[in-house]
Amino acid sequence: MPVDGSLRLLLPELVVALTGVLALSAGLVSRRAHVPGFISLAGLALAGFFLATEVAGWTAQLWSGTVLVDGFSTVFKAIFLGVAALVVLVSLDYLEHHRLPAGEFFLLVLLATVGMMFMAGSLNLLTIYLGLECLALASYALAGFLRHNDRSTEAAVKYVLIGAISSGIILFGMSLLFGVAGSVHLADVAAALASASSLQPALLAGMVFLIAGFGVKMAVVPFHMWAPDVYHGSPAPVAAFLIAASEAAAFAAALRIFIVGLPALQEHWRSAFILLSVLTMTIGNVAAITQTNMRRMLAYSAVAQAGYLLVGLAVGTERAVAAMIYYMVAYAFATVGAFAVVMLLGKYYPNEEIADFRGLSRRSPLFASALAVFMLSFIGIPPTAGFFGKFYLFQAAVAEGFTWLALVMVLNSVISIPYYWGVVQAMYLRDGAASDPLPAPGGLRWATAIGFGATLLLGLFPDQAVQLVSAVHVVPTLLAGGS
Amino acid sequence: MLLSALLFIPLLGALILGFVPKDRERTIKAFALVVSLIPLALVLAIWREMDFSQPGMQLLYRAEWIPSLGISYQVGVDGISFPLIAVAAIVLPLAVLASFSINHRVKEFFIWMLVLQTGIYGVFLALDYFLFFIFFEASLVPMYFIIGIWGGQRREYAAMKFFIYTLLGSAIMLVGILALYFGSGLEPRTFDVLVLAEQANLSPALQWWVFLAFFAGFAVKVPIFPFHTWLPDAHVEAPTGGSMILAGILLKMGTYGFFRFMLPTFPDAAHAFSPVLAVLGIIGILYGALAAMAQKDLKRMVAYSSISHMGFVILGVAAMTPMALNGAMFINVSHGLISPLFFFLAGSVIYDRTHTRMMDEMGGLLSSLPLVGGVTAFAAFANLGLPALAGFPGEFFTLAGSFPVFTAGVIVAASGLVLTAGYHLRMMQRVLMGQPRALETRVDLAGRELAVAAPLMVFIVLLGVMPGLALSVFNAPIAVLAAKLGGI
Repeated sequence: MPVDGSLRLLLPELVVALTGVLALSAGLVSRRAHVPGFISLAGLALAGFFLATEVAGWTAQLWSGTVLVDGFSTVFKAIFLGVAALVVLVSLDYLEHHRLPAGEFFLLVLLATVGMMFMAGSLNLLTIYLGLECLALASYALAGFLRHNDRSTEAAVKYVLIGAISSGIILFGMSLLFGVAGSVHLADVAAALASASSLQPALLAGMVFLIAGFGVKMAVVPFHMWAPDVYHGSPAPVAAFLIAASEAAAFAAALRIFIVGLPALQEHWRSAFILLSVLTMTIGNVAAITQTNMRRMLAYSAVAQAGYLLVGLAVGTERAVAAMIYYMVAYAFATVGAFAVVMLLGKYYPNEEIADFRGLSRRSPLFASALAVFMLSFIGIPPTAGFFGKFYLFQAAVAEGFTWLALVMVLNSVISIPYYWGVVQAMYLRDGAASDPLPAPGGLRWATAIGFGATLLLGLFPDQAVQLVSAVHVVPTLLAGGS
Repeated sequence: MLLSALLFIPLLGALILGFVPKDRERTIKAFALVVSLIPLALVLAIWREMDFSQPGMQLLYRAEWIPSLGISYQVGVDGISFPLIAVAAIVLPLAVLASFSINHRVKEFFIWMLVLQTGIYGVFLALDYFLFFIFFEASLVPMYFIIGIWGGQRREYAAMKFFIYTLLGSAIMLVGILALYFGSGLEPRTFDVLVLAEQANLSPALQWWVFLAFFAGFAVKVPIFPFHTWLPDAHVEAPTGGSMILAGILLKMGTYGFFRFMLPTFPDAAHAFSPVLAVLGIIGILYGALAAMAQKDLKRMVAYSSISHMGFVILGVAAMTPMALNGAMFINVSHGLISPLFFFLAGSVIYDRTHTRMMDEMGGLLSSLPLVGGVTAFAAFANLGLPALAGFPGEFFTLAGSFPVFTAGVIVAASGLVLTAGYHLRMMQRVLMGQPRALETRVDLAGRELAVAAPLMVFIVLLGVMPGLALSVFNAPIAVLAAKLGGI
């Protein structure tokens, strides 16, 4: 691959990284969160612009195959940029309210975004790992950003410890793959496995390590124990960011590693993922039912949602991957939107109990109706994006003959009704102690409105998005041709 | 275009209502009523456009929606769906009118009432499984709020139970729809209801499973014994307008599912399953009647009587003879008119005057409030199937049409008629006869109440005296359906 001109394909990543530095310096100069915030938003928009104009439509490997640009990575990068922008939007008021240093916060968010972009944009195990670490280190700091809050500190400590262990496990798994295949490039790994006459035990061990390691990053049962504490304790925008973007990045990397690199072991990882998905959705949903705290409920719901996504990973067809991407987009919009409403409530009720949502339908009718739509989307009731995403995933599963798995998903969606709908019940059916209107800052308004609009639009007119995601190939076309 | 207008005008009305200030309650109520009356005019126009001698779909409209997955926006109407949208167009404005007594969170209530209407018309008009499913589910949310916010004492419990039960059934049905989509063997794949019914080439085993999945969805909605337990709670706790719609229209979504989807698309499985269906129907008839007899609460008694009547529909569906199917369709229509009237009486007219729903605490209504008592007697006689009222022809056709197929079953089911007469007479004895009790108001039927009851009573008499009026509408498509089922 020629080096010249290749930088053009990395413009989005470069812009985001540079914006981070700019935001940091702006934060040193200005005391208001808005200045670095708007710089970050502008940078993300510019990166998105370059992604659409310079990168979209290209498929190329750069720098001796360490970086890959293709449709799959472009779609994921677009998701990460979008989520990052929404998270910046909801953080503006949050940072001022809690008097947090905005420049550093946005720098960390943007660096984490760069890390995610590399996780999705490579077939090289080392690059994926570096992206993962970049994301992880930034996330650890973000989780503990409320320095004077015990819960936030606890979240950060748990996240660092478990995150570091899982990174180590992933690295160990990667090294086993390297030992067998003699290369860190997934295409070479796949080729080495395809020509091998028998599977070596080291290989299976490597696969198991990778499943466990990524299982932690994806917050999959039984590797999920950090998730409720971290999603509950870390600052609300960070939790939204971790749930909506960081999990998606883990799924992107896992899709590449297992489908591109380990197709020879599909039988094995497929059964593992099926088992994990059934466990994850069931345990996540059952645990969520018992929660009385909104953030904890959303945390367990994130675990359950990861279980639905695992169905797509287990099925592993092009259609399933398209459905997963669609689902992640739908889920991301609803998650950030829901967190925006939680943040609004959190300004007045720092404990964020579900009971605090009582009577919200009359205090803030628009926010309440938006949150109701997000809950519908989480359950999967039409006409929301979440319904279409589930429908699309069911479809992929049924097409591959996994009708029973689709049924398990369906039953789990029904199990999830009480806790998601419990919030709606509190907002609409119960009366709260207070009934005065809640004033809402602009950033939260915008983020909620965008999430609301996108959730309905993607639910009612999914065709464009479906065409977009179904054109995505996990195995890039330049490999599929046999290069 | 007529059909799409019918579908979306209520939704549009709901959106407009969203901008009306919430303290202008009279405007809101009047606006909701006017918007609900537009579909009635449209249904009349549709009626004039249609040719009922022709069994197929009419006024078909199709537009691409999600072409990459074979999903289209397709609506149409035939002799099976027309009577149901006609009943809906009559009952919905009356339910809105009956709800004028709602006095808290008025704006929200009428917005949900209008949204619900779009869902209802959508279910009966959609001819694409995806589109149908969206309306089927979307009608749940407004009903949840209507029960949950404006319902009686145990409203939250009833609303949640209704929500979860129905969603569980329809979620299983969704998997069935997908299995049908992939198992049909059609290329390109499609969710088109008509194409799948005519051309799907399902293996017998798949047909069985898909039939059962659809059964889960519709059996909860009908409801068929033993999936009925949500019904008494939901119907009793719902505000009057809500129970009128629940009993009159939402239950018909379930039975409509048998006529539109299950029988035409899975004839083999339907045949194999018909004895089970018949038994469940008969159990429903007897169980509903016995349970109704045991009730002390008038509204609860009416709710159980719905289960009993739906049992007749299921028996007719199971028998699959032209006469039985016609009878079942007829009950769909007649029950759609009678049960709203009965719920209106039990939930509003009588309750507003006696402030109780316990039959033992009422009494002597016929002498203290002759008009109210008279209308109640009328509703009771219609509901028990007195000849010359709408309740009779349907039950008669169903039993007569099922007799050759399930002779013993029909004999057992016919004993349900005795029980039905029994609990109605007992009700009348306790509520209408005897010593008059102290009443809140002595006002006999008020103008608004009469405006709700009178149209229903007119149609009940009309259909009772001239059942051919309804039969001529659905006879042709039922004949085609029966021929398809009989041709195996």
